[in-house]
Amino acid sequence: MIEKEITVANRAGLHTRPASMIVRKASEFEAEFFIHKDGYEINGKSIIGVMTLAAEQGATLMLVFEGPDESEAADAMTELFESGFGEVK
Amino acid sequence: MAREAKPFKKESITIDFLIQQLGDTVGVELTKLNDVPLEDRSITESNLHRPGLALAGYLDLFTHQRIQVIGNTETRYLKNLSEKERKSSFKKILNFELPCIFFTESNDPGTTLVKMATKAKTPVFQTPLPTIEFMSRLKDFLNDQFAFQQAVHGALVDVYGIGLLIKGKPGIGKSEVALDLVERGHRLVADDVVVVTRKEESVLMGAGTDIAQHFMEIRGLGLIDVRAMFGIRAIRFQKRVEVVVHLHPWDSDEEYTRLGMVDSFHEIMGVKIPLVKLPITTGKNVTVLCEVIAMNHLLRNYGYDAAAVFADRLTDKIKDKDSAGPSRGIEYFEHDYE
Repeated sequence: MIEKEITVANRAGLHTRPASMIVRKASEFEAEFFIHKDGYEINGKSIIGVMTLAAEQGATLMLVFEGPDESEAADAMTELFESGFGEVK
Repeated sequence: MAREAKPFKKESITIDFLIQQLGDTVGVELTKLNDVPLEDRSITESNLHRPGLALAGYLDLFTHQRIQVIGNTETRYLKNLSEKERKSSFKKILNFELPCIFFTESNDPGTTLVKMATKAKTPVFQTPLPTIEFMSRLKDFLNDQFAFQQAVHGALVDVYGIGLLIKGKPGIGKSEVALDLVERGHRLVADDVVVVTRKEESVLMGAGTDIAQHFMEIRGLGLIDVRAMFGIRAIRFQKRVEVVVHLHPWDSDEEYTRLGMVDSFHEIMGVKIPLVKLPITTGKNVTVLCEVIAMNHLLRNYGYDAAAVFADRLTDKIKDKDSAGPSRGIEYFEHDYE
């Protein structure tokens, strides 16, 4: 299991487009993917789940990966978050 | 089964939120007696306190962090004191940072005491409700606020009045089954993220989140709003979680129940919920199976256990030597051939 703390970098936060990018990326991997915020833990492969977090810019999220390709999944997801989903930071 | 989220609970709620909720949702009539900022004071526990002994001067173990409820007894005590004693008595409890004070049964503290409370920045309210009634309603609200919650991945549907929590790996078709159930007249509570709250140690109540309320994601279609599409009869805002249905691909190594339907439990926050493991194979109508699971749960609730009834019938038949062995269920076909 890999746990990684990450901050939402893009100005608009995790709105519909970044949320669908996260879900699409997570679904490429076999590893299970969870996101923690404010006590809630949601499945990162569910679009409604990710949008439920309503994460704003600067919000801290805990990403959890578990499965055979967890390290690849963690790297890919970190890159996606750090890129700011191709939006203005 | 997949790992689950950790339960969590609220650390504190502000008096501002409490008062607003008591008025709007709980429906308690309240009068604000002084004007102090309510956002600054908060509570961290659901217990209440009647400060009789504290007013009388015994301050050891005074649970000042709790909401203070002043009823007839305390009011009568204060009234019977001289002006000077009354002020000194009330001052004793105001020396602590109290979340707020409620006067029940429309008891009036009088302007002097209210002024003292304002100076101490302690909010004071008055309610016409009797003390016991007020405390029971307030306690119930606070117990709910400070209850353990857990976000569970799955779909919660009310099927014939039974709360079915459909679980399984992403992509197995939970949402599709939920949608099919809605189409057949059952009611959706939440899809994808179900927030489960533990009430009174053994009851689990499920609800959706404020954002995703009655939205659903169907792979290949996108997001749909079940309430807008199917109307008010297709949804519910809350439902007790009563049976967990776990959908998973057929696994020939797994031992499936052949008789009893429910043979194991799914645990959420220490509460055991009957679990039905449902293997998905082609040609299987999962929706109808979910209805059967709900009906079977109802039958069991009303004291009928199909597996037990069948077992009894079998034992009786074996015991009765004359009729042992299989035989036709009808002794004689009458001559109407229908």
